[in-house]
Amino acid sequence: MEKVLETYLEKVEKYLKRVPVSERTDILKEIKSGICELQNNGKNPDEIIERLGKPGDLAKAYLADILSEEKGVSWNKFLLVCAFYSVAGLSGMFIIPCLGIIAPSFIFFGAAMPVLGFIKMVDNVFNLNIPYVENINVCFNGIENFNPVLGFAITALSGILLYLAGRGAWKLLLLYCRKTGSIKRKLQGADCGLQDR
Amino acid sequence: MNVDSWKSQIKRGTLEFCILLMISKRPYYGYEIINKLDKWDVLSAKESTIYPLLRRLLKDGFLSSFWQETTEGLPPRKYYSITDKGNEYLAAMEHEWSNLLTAVEGIKGE
Repeated sequence: MEKVLETYLEKVEKYLKRVPVSERTDILKEIKSGICELQNNGKNPDEIIERLGKPGDLAKAYLADILSEEKGVSWNKFLLVCAFYSVAGLSGMFIIPCLGIIAPSFIFFGAAMPVLGFIKMVDNVFNLNIPYVENINVCFNGIENFNPVLGFAITALSGILLYLAGRGAWKLLLLYCRKTGSIKRKLQGADCGLQDR
Repeated sequence: MNVDSWKSQIKRGTLEFCILLMISKRPYYGYEIINKLDKWDVLSAKESTIYPLLRRLLKDGFLSSFWQETTEGLPPRKYYSITDKGNEYLAAMEHEWSNLLTAVEGIKGE
């Protein structure tokens, strides 16, 4: 069998990693047999792959049935789906929203903290008694009631740290998106290379 | 007019019925089923539909399967044959199918 078709089968197998071995072997054997029939009828590898669809989609068609036959939630089912998505690269479903929430909120609160600290300091130093400012409290390591200037310094410092953490998360998010994108591109490149042979 | 979505809904249930009908006559292998269904546009389906469907019918006990070597030097083929349970299921489907046709005819003739 051509290398492209073998690679195709290997990919399908990877997606079905958590399916019991005997069942997985049977599934792959049948797909392989189908591929050979198509080849025997004069279809070239590209046509065959187009007909079968993406390896992930073909595997998903099997998984959908395997998953629906077992009712309810089970650990096995969970592992099955995890194995599928670990190959499908859906880790982004988790990483992207996490970083996506952390980055802007850290940046926002990093900026808000020194502002609030500053207001508190001004309020304290000039005894302005601005409404609600009594609710702003600087608390560090269990110690409260700092002198106003020290309190502001603490908020400013932690604000900067939070802001930097937020920026870091944001950079990480961009890096993640770029990395996964380039892996995908690399794989596509490899596919084309094989098809050319 | 786009009837594709309606067609695919109709197809889902009908395919199962047609496949069981075919296999009730003699054992078939997957590729043979796909080829035969291909003769009718409304029923034609790809490997990604038929193989998992056969697998489900197998697991539900409506079909049984066996591998058989080919004489043409191809890898072994997986044949499906109908079980008693499958025959019962098919009879019930045929009953419902004719009910459906009668109903449609009845509405048309009104």
